Amino acid sequence: MKILLIEDDREAASYLIQALDEAGHVTHHAADGETGYAMASGMDYDVLIVDRMLPRRDGLSIVESLRAEADQTPVLILSALGEVDDRVTGLRAGGDDYLTKPYAFTELLARIEVLARRSSPAEAATSYSVAGLSLDRLSRKVERDGESILLQPREFRLLEYLMKNAGKVVTRTMLLENVWDYHFDPQTNVIDVHMSRLRSKIDKGHDSPLLHTVRGAGYMIRE
Amino acid sequence: MSRFAQVWRTSTVRLTATFIAIFVLFAILLMGFIGWQSSVTIQRQQADDIDREVRLFQRIEATQGIRALAFALNRLSSQPGPGVYYLGDASGQYLLGNMTEVPPDVLIDPGVYSFDYDRPDPLGPEAGPPGGPAGGPPDPPKRAGVALVRSVELNNGMRLVVGRDVVERRGYSAIILQSFLVGVVGIIVFSIFAGGLTARRVLKRIDTIRDTSTKIMSGNLSERVPITKRNDEFDGLARNLNAMLDRIEQLLQGLKEVTDNVAHDLKTPLTRLRNQAEGALRDTASPETKEKALETVIAESDKLIQTFNALLMIARVEAGAPSGALSEIDVSTIVADVTELYTPVAEDEGITIEATIAEGVTLRANRELIGQAMVNLLENAMKYAKPEDGRDGKITVDLRREGTQVVLAVADNGPGIPEADRLRVLERFVRLEKSRSEPGSGLGLALVNAVARLHGGTFRIDDNGPGVRAVLDLPEA
Repeated sequence: MKILLIEDDREAASYLIQALDEAGHVTHHAADGETGYAMASGMDYDVLIVDRMLPRRDGLSIVESLRAEADQTPVLILSALGEVDDRVTGLRAGGDDYLTKPYAFTELLARIEVLARRSSPAEAATSYSVAGLSLDRLSRKVERDGESILLQPREFRLLEYLMKNAGKVVTRTMLLENVWDYHFDPQTNVIDVHMSRLRSKIDKGHDSPLLHTVRGAGYMIRE
Repeated sequence: MSRFAQVWRTSTVRLTATFIAIFVLFAILLMGFIGWQSSVTIQRQQADDIDREVRLFQRIEATQGIRALAFALNRLSSQPGPGVYYLGDASGQYLLGNMTEVPPDVLIDPGVYSFDYDRPDPLGPEAGPPGGPAGGPPDPPKRAGVALVRSVELNNGMRLVVGRDVVERRGYSAIILQSFLVGVVGIIVFSIFAGGLTARRVLKRIDTIRDTSTKIMSGNLSERVPITKRNDEFDGLARNLNAMLDRIEQLLQGLKEVTDNVAHDLKTPLTRLRNQAEGALRDTASPETKEKALETVIAESDKLIQTFNALLMIARVEAGAPSGALSEIDVSTIVADVTELYTPVAEDEGITIEATIAEGVTLRANRELIGQAMVNLLENAMKYAKPEDGRDGKITVDLRREGTQVVLAVADNGPGIPEADRLRVLERFVRLEKSRSEPGSGLGLALVNAVARLHGGTFRIDDNGPGVRAVLDLPEA
């Protein structure tokens, strides 16, 4: 994946570039808003990571300009401002996702991988399938190896989100945001309990589990 | 003089001066009008008098003859007063009267005239002081006068001139002018006195308020503006100022407590963090120990971030509504969603959640904050409801509409909170001894409290006998 990182904090940037490189991504870096905007409009990237407060040009105005030019490259906004209305302004300006500093690298990585995927046409699929597991979004039926699985509405949405992003890591906060539409940090392991219930429904009695826990990051559905 | 300049600058004094100016202007207009009116009236009266006298003389002359007329004229002429008379023969030559000379025009053409003349004052042997009522100068043998007269030609061709000495009237005008001046000066003096007194009184009250604020600015926050028994606007202002000061003092007190608590609750994990990092750096540490230490460091910093986020959130909520984040939200759905989110965790811990959620309860509120408040309430209840000593854990969630209030109650059947601590747990970082060992920052209920206040509602901890019943009361409008 080709990524443009617009971030003025050198140390944070170099850490991110190295970590993204280790994850197999090519990262270009711009240290101020003007340069970042020039690079973003001049080259094709899969994902932009834009810090909100930048020298010379504000991060949000970069995103707004790109969107005004019909540039639909997915954008992840990074910000130290994490309140509800800050997030809303960020997304309204055209950002696709919003991550508050300080963040875990695994969270950032999971989010940009899902973002890049979002721009591909797989989005509109009416059904998903991973190995023997299939989910039909229209009839709301889930089957594994031809055997029907009965899921609660919330469990269905959890699985739907996981399967839409099959092969990608999905973090707990991403699940909370996308399945429950809340942006807070629960102090207890609420998501884990939901996941273990879902797992017992789709993996129980099968030799090869499909729902995996990724240590220190989140969950993933894959063969 | 600088004191005068200072006094002049005050709006009270300027206001008083304006009022004085208005008073004086008004007085001038009023007295001018009165003066003008009375002069017009007097003039008309005099003209009427003259006409009446002329008609009277004509009648005397017509009915009783010229002699009777001459007799009457002589008598009137010799009386002191404003009346002036002149009787001339057909050629206008002076015959009798207290005026010895009139301009020829008056005699030639009958009509009304006004002219200067020399008044022979000591008229006749018994001449008194005729200038009395006019208040004029002492009697010289002659004095300049102005006469308003009417001249007529009698049947026998003789000329009769009857009039009034207008100087007398002028004297009257002078009296009016004089009293008018006295009045204006009086009004000015009075209004300066009254205005000054008012200004001084008002300035004194303002000075008191300023003195108090100066004392407060210099650090003595317990100082208050004195309130008098008059219960006037200044007392209203003073009461508002005092209420504001109470609020500020309370906020500062809160800030101080928070600072103390932040010092304790953030420094402790920071110290642990540092110790772990140092331990990992030690040469003797094995790779496994190092890895474990680093994991602890990340876990500790995550907890710190959480605490920090919660603190910031409370601060932002307390500072006021996030702009534009209030909208019509479905509280029933939020409460149901969050309850559903937590039900599995609770069940895993042996706690059952019983929810009674009224349908379609909507509110103009911030969705994220109401959701977060519900999360905090449930997490708090779960801490207390943990089953122990054979007691089953049980949490009840109750959302209902009571009149114009939306009431959300989350109750547990745990050990409860002593009555003395029920207000305290709503403060930041206050954690009761029992929950010190539990995870949590001591900010959960403080945030719920702040959220309640932001939405104009209240939050309180009631006894659930046994356990705690946390009640969030939000007004609909």
